[in-house]
Amino acid sequence: MIALAIAQQTIKEAFRRRVMWIFLIIGVFLISLGPVFGFLTPRDSQTVLRSLGLAAILLAGLFVTIVTCIYLIPAEIERRTIYTVLSKPVQRYEFVLGKFLGGFATVFINIAAMGVVFLAMIYFQERRIPAEMFKGVMLTFFQMMLLAALTIFFSTFTTPVVNFFLSFGIFMIGNLTTVTESLTTKSNPLVRGVGTLVHYLLPNFGNFNIQNSIIRPQIEIANEQVFLRNNILYAIIYSSVLLVLAILIFDRREV
Amino acid sequence: MAVATKIYPATVHQRFTRLLPLAILAMLPIPFLQKSLDPTVKQVQKGSENIGQVSGIGNEFLLLPLLGFREAAAGLLWVRCDEFFHSGDYDAILPLVRLITWLDPHADNVYITGAWHLAYNFTDSSERSDRRYIPPAQALLDEGIQNNFHIFDVKFEKGWQNYDKIKDYYAAAKAFRLALETKPIKGSDDYPYGAPLRVHHILAHTYEKMGRLPDALYEWQKALERSEQMMMSKLTEEQRKQVEAAKADMKPGQLWSERAEALLQKFNKDFTTRQLREAEKHNYVTAYQRWRDRYTTEGHSKNNPTRYPAVLMPPPVSKDQTPRPWDVAFQPRIEVVRPKVFKISGFGNFGDGARVEVRIMDWDYKEREIDPKENTFQVDDTQTILQDSISVRKSKFEREMDMSKDTKMYNFSKPYYKIVLSYNPRSTSPHLQDRFGWSGEGLTDSNRSHVYIDRRPELLGTKFIEGQGGEGPVWDGKTIPWDRYGQPVRMIRVTYKIDMEQVMGQKPITEKDIVPNE
Repeated sequence: MIALAIAQQTIKEAFRRRVMWIFLIIGVFLISLGPVFGFLTPRDSQTVLRSLGLAAILLAGLFVTIVTCIYLIPAEIERRTIYTVLSKPVQRYEFVLGKFLGGFATVFINIAAMGVVFLAMIYFQERRIPAEMFKGVMLTFFQMMLLAALTIFFSTFTTPVVNFFLSFGIFMIGNLTTVTESLTTKSNPLVRGVGTLVHYLLPNFGNFNIQNSIIRPQIEIANEQVFLRNNILYAIIYSSVLLVLAILIFDRREV
Repeated sequence: MAVATKIYPATVHQRFTRLLPLAILAMLPIPFLQKSLDPTVKQVQKGSENIGQVSGIGNEFLLLPLLGFREAAAGLLWVRCDEFFHSGDYDAILPLVRLITWLDPHADNVYITGAWHLAYNFTDSSERSDRRYIPPAQALLDEGIQNNFHIFDVKFEKGWQNYDKIKDYYAAAKAFRLALETKPIKGSDDYPYGAPLRVHHILAHTYEKMGRLPDALYEWQKALERSEQMMMSKLTEEQRKQVEAAKADMKPGQLWSERAEALLQKFNKDFTTRQLREAEKHNYVTAYQRWRDRYTTEGHSKNNPTRYPAVLMPPPVSKDQTPRPWDVAFQPRIEVVRPKVFKISGFGNFGDGARVEVRIMDWDYKEREIDPKENTFQVDDTQTILQDSISVRKSKFEREMDMSKDTKMYNFSKPYYKIVLSYNPRSTSPHLQDRFGWSGEGLTDSNRSHVYIDRRPELLGTKFIEGQGGEGPVWDGKTIPWDRYGQPVRMIRVTYKIDMEQVMGQKPITEKDIVPNE
């Protein structure tokens, strides 16, 4: 219950930040730009609308997630409000858990809002909403959930600036899944070793990028159910591990 | 110096010792999950590994792919391409096409448009396309097929480019067949087929041009079956019953019943579908007529028994009424009016509207072989090739081929050149295609060296028609595979070998420069 109360407060606080609204508005604006490309052939304009929409959700979601989550814990410490919170019967793990849940919920609300606009645009253009579009938005949410967990984890022991570059850098590396996967089979043992470590231990954000198959429905994903299930499991397990590590670190941190 | 030791509450210790092993344990399935996801991720994100190859482009376009927005970046670049195309900035399009296909290898439309752009849009000042771009265009299509094997589109485009631009009907048929073998995709417009009806049509036409008439007939039959299915599927149950009843009087082997056809035409409101059906029937009948005239003894007059059965002999015929081959009396003349400007003229009794094909190229010209992985769309600047055709009016033809203006395209860096003038009855205007027999059976020239039979291995001939130059076994309709044996076309062809002095107009081009056809 305490964690939920902190989560609720975190959401309110996040929505008070203007920068988050700016990213959200930019995201919505980019999505609504899609139909402007209607001058292309019907097939191309559909491709551009879908790819732009999903990219806008991802881009705005990325900035919203990072900007929201890097400040969640440091801001409390900086403003010294954490003393008030921790002086109450609130355990540190409850505080971290509350921040996690608040961060996830904020990201969810943002992605859901952009998703609704995106689906409305798709409906406006195609007069139907293909089921694949839901999958795209859903996987973007899980991708952002993993990123939020990573950012909050870093925020327990780094400053917001360092956290920004760390999270952003890992997000970029994590998007090169196919590149890191190819490194695991290289003949040079050093390259292979580093590649294996990066590929299997760092969070692979690229797993969630199924835009290609969504944009072009003719690309059939083999065992789609298993793919979606494993991706969601991956995000949940990885986020949980990061949450546990964040709790352990924050437990020992001097505030 | 004493080191200060932090003392944590017991609960923190407890949590640490309990939760850390739990976290480590929870991490264990992660590599396995990743391993299970890898094959699908690789399949969905085909082309991500190409990001490393992307160079020389704006950072905004590099950043987007790195963040996972490859398709969005590709889409935006494609929009830019469209702008370049409309502003006529053709050179700017090529690097973008290369980049987009690297970023998004499933962008089939970019492969198709890019290959078309390469093959057709780079021209000299007289709008003659630069043939040196054909190998990179074909390599781009090969790459597109490889990356989009699950759809018919790129395969079809490769077939069409070979059919329309290169006139390599063997390669075209191969690509069209591949397109037809595409696995059907549920929900696509063509389902339950992998490719649309038009692929059958163009494949049939391709077989006709290869001389493989039985295959063409078979393809038209398949098209007719499919179009009938399509038309029937749009009818009501009652209408369908009426059509089926009308078909009852059909004889074995009969492809359609006129009564049933009339009903199909009546019940179907879509004009295009109706017209398409009529065109299929017409084309089937034309192909059948060509086949019947050549390979059966039916319907030939006493005076026209076997030898040139398809030839419509123009008067006067000889006294004994035996048909003779038609002498086109081809007399070409080539003049160099200014350095690198060729005036090609002459006489050829082909009929109005026929076209004499012209090729001026390096003596040793050979199309480059390009590995799709290494395809940078570069052309060999040392090669020279021009291809054009001249229309025949009242048995005469004439045109000036100016190769002096476009030095980048026609650099003339080799010591010897080849000028080839030819006439192919199969690729001439439709109204003339059967004038000498569609495969040129009735075509001859008083100068026998002008008659040329295309003996490429892909077009191995048969012995259907004596004296026609065919090789190989006689087709019995059963045992001989038609993908190996087609009827060779008998055409008119004259090849000149000239040197640089003649190109510059310092020495005339005469009949002595004519060499045997290859």
